[in-house]
Amino acid sequence: MAIYKDFNIQPENSLVSSDVVTNVKDTVSSGMWADGSNSISAYFTSSTQSGSSGTYYLDVYSANPQSDSTAKPQFSVAYGHFNGSGSVGTVGVDGNRASAAIYRQLSNTLLGPNEEKFTFAGSGTNITPKYVYAISIARQQLREKMDPGNWELHLSASGIAPGAGNVLKLIDDSGATTNPTVNQGGRVFNIVSGSIASGTAVRKTDAASQPGGGYGLFYPDLGILVLNGPVLNTSASLATVSGSNLEGGNVGKFYNSIRNTNKFQARREEVITSQHYFCRVPNKEFNFSSNPTFTSGSNGDFTVSTFFKNPKTFITQVGLYNDNNELLAIAKLSKPLLKSYSKEAIIKVKLDF
Amino acid sequence: MGFLNNTTVTVDAILTKKGRELLAQGTEAFNITKFALSDDEVDYNLFDVTHPNGSDSFGKVIENMPLLEAIPDENHVMRYKLITLPKTTSKMPVVSLSVDSITFDTAGGLGQPNRLVTATTANVTDSSYTFILHDQSVASMIVSEGAGSGVGATTPFFLGEDDAPNSKTVVAKSVNINVGQGVNVVKATQLTIIGNDTGATNSITVTNKVTLNSIMGR
Repeated sequence: MAIYKDFNIQPENSLVSSDVVTNVKDTVSSGMWADGSNSISAYFTSSTQSGSSGTYYLDVYSANPQSDSTAKPQFSVAYGHFNGSGSVGTVGVDGNRASAAIYRQLSNTLLGPNEEKFTFAGSGTNITPKYVYAISIARQQLREKMDPGNWELHLSASGIAPGAGNVLKLIDDSGATTNPTVNQGGRVFNIVSGSIASGTAVRKTDAASQPGGGYGLFYPDLGILVLNGPVLNTSASLATVSGSNLEGGNVGKFYNSIRNTNKFQARREEVITSQHYFCRVPNKEFNFSSNPTFTSGSNGDFTVSTFFKNPKTFITQVGLYNDNNELLAIAKLSKPLLKSYSKEAIIKVKLDF
Repeated sequence: MGFLNNTTVTVDAILTKKGRELLAQGTEAFNITKFALSDDEVDYNLFDVTHPNGSDSFGKVIENMPLLEAIPDENHVMRYKLITLPKTTSKMPVVSLSVDSITFDTAGGLGQPNRLVTATTANVTDSSYTFILHDQSVASMIVSEGAGSGVGATTPFFLGEDDAPNSKTVVAKSVNINVGQGVNVVKATQLTIIGNDTGATNSITVTNKVTLNSIMGR
């Protein structure tokens, strides 16, 4: 007579079969944006957020936060200048110097202790530019990391109709990189022109061959894209204003260049660690039930008289317990599973962490 | 010739509130060592032995029913566990109690004797029982005969977080129910008894009519 059945737990290196398999890792990728979508087709900002911190960054939504209370930021766009140009304030002059704060924040997070400026691939005048544009994916959308080789961003100058000649299509070069650079910001890939529309990444121009310097750097583990300011300014006609002690509205210009094309496709990647529990239910066990409808009357007679010597039960739940009989995890079957003396079952319960 | 059914039963589990609590304390505390099965949601009266398609279809109504999603509150799942018993079992375990109900009358006041509640299990033996007095403000409960060392409860207390602070749970073979301190108004609660080996349950009503007004009026 028993209610519980102990798992046969063997050491990991044992040749004997074990009911519990621990530390099973699965990589799961899914659409990055709201509701698991892999693309955003409409872009919105919040007047509340832009009014308070819009000179630093703009939160970008896939639904209008003014009318949809459930809308959540999908990513943020920002503009950073090494010296603070394009924002109010300078050394000795009052002002938040928002672009300097953003640039230093990014360099402090992504670069090594002895590096001051971002260095992009290639050769030309804009290898170490003074200003950058950045995209940071919202934490709840990123979860763990971006999926390299599976994102595409289109940029176009506001006011210019999106067309084949006007749209700058950006992807990363992870497909051509077998041994990526890993530094303080984790893995780093170059941002290059190209497309993943065919299902695989097709690069138009390699970063090293990009005139003036590479388009940017992609940090998948942090969900941050740092774009080469001057190169982007030329390619996407952003009309960046980089005057000293002057609010240039560059964050808004960058946002408009994304909104104008309506195309930011991306996937995220997550490593799920699981434990598998094999609940082995032999034919002679678990054939009776404490369910009050299993019996009728007050003396314990079976509700169904044919259950005598041939009882049948229906499994609907599996409970996982510790030694103190505390229920730690619960699994439900999609429909009741018939159990009898002529049936055995193995129910694999997967517990994700 | 048809295809062989190659489906396997694989289910995803969720952590209960207790599981999350222990996981937060560290992996040492979170140690799954055994499993149990239950048939919550199933009503065996739906097992139709007169089904025209024969014995293979007797349980069709139950087997085809959709099930609710898992609930993380460990107090409200795994209520009716499946049990392993000898094949020749003809009657299921039934928990019988020494009293059908308990009422503390006004006339007895606070001095009336304890009421002994002894549980026995007919047809199959339980080594101990879990006694749950759902509302301690109605009466008090103390162990009369203990269950011995190393005996644990089987957990299905059916108590939510709101109920738990007012309730009392003990593992024993018998308990004494006392009138306590009296009540503001006549009040009743349930005493639930669960066989720790069989999972069989029974409950009785405990009513306290000894109000504070009746005590002061004496």
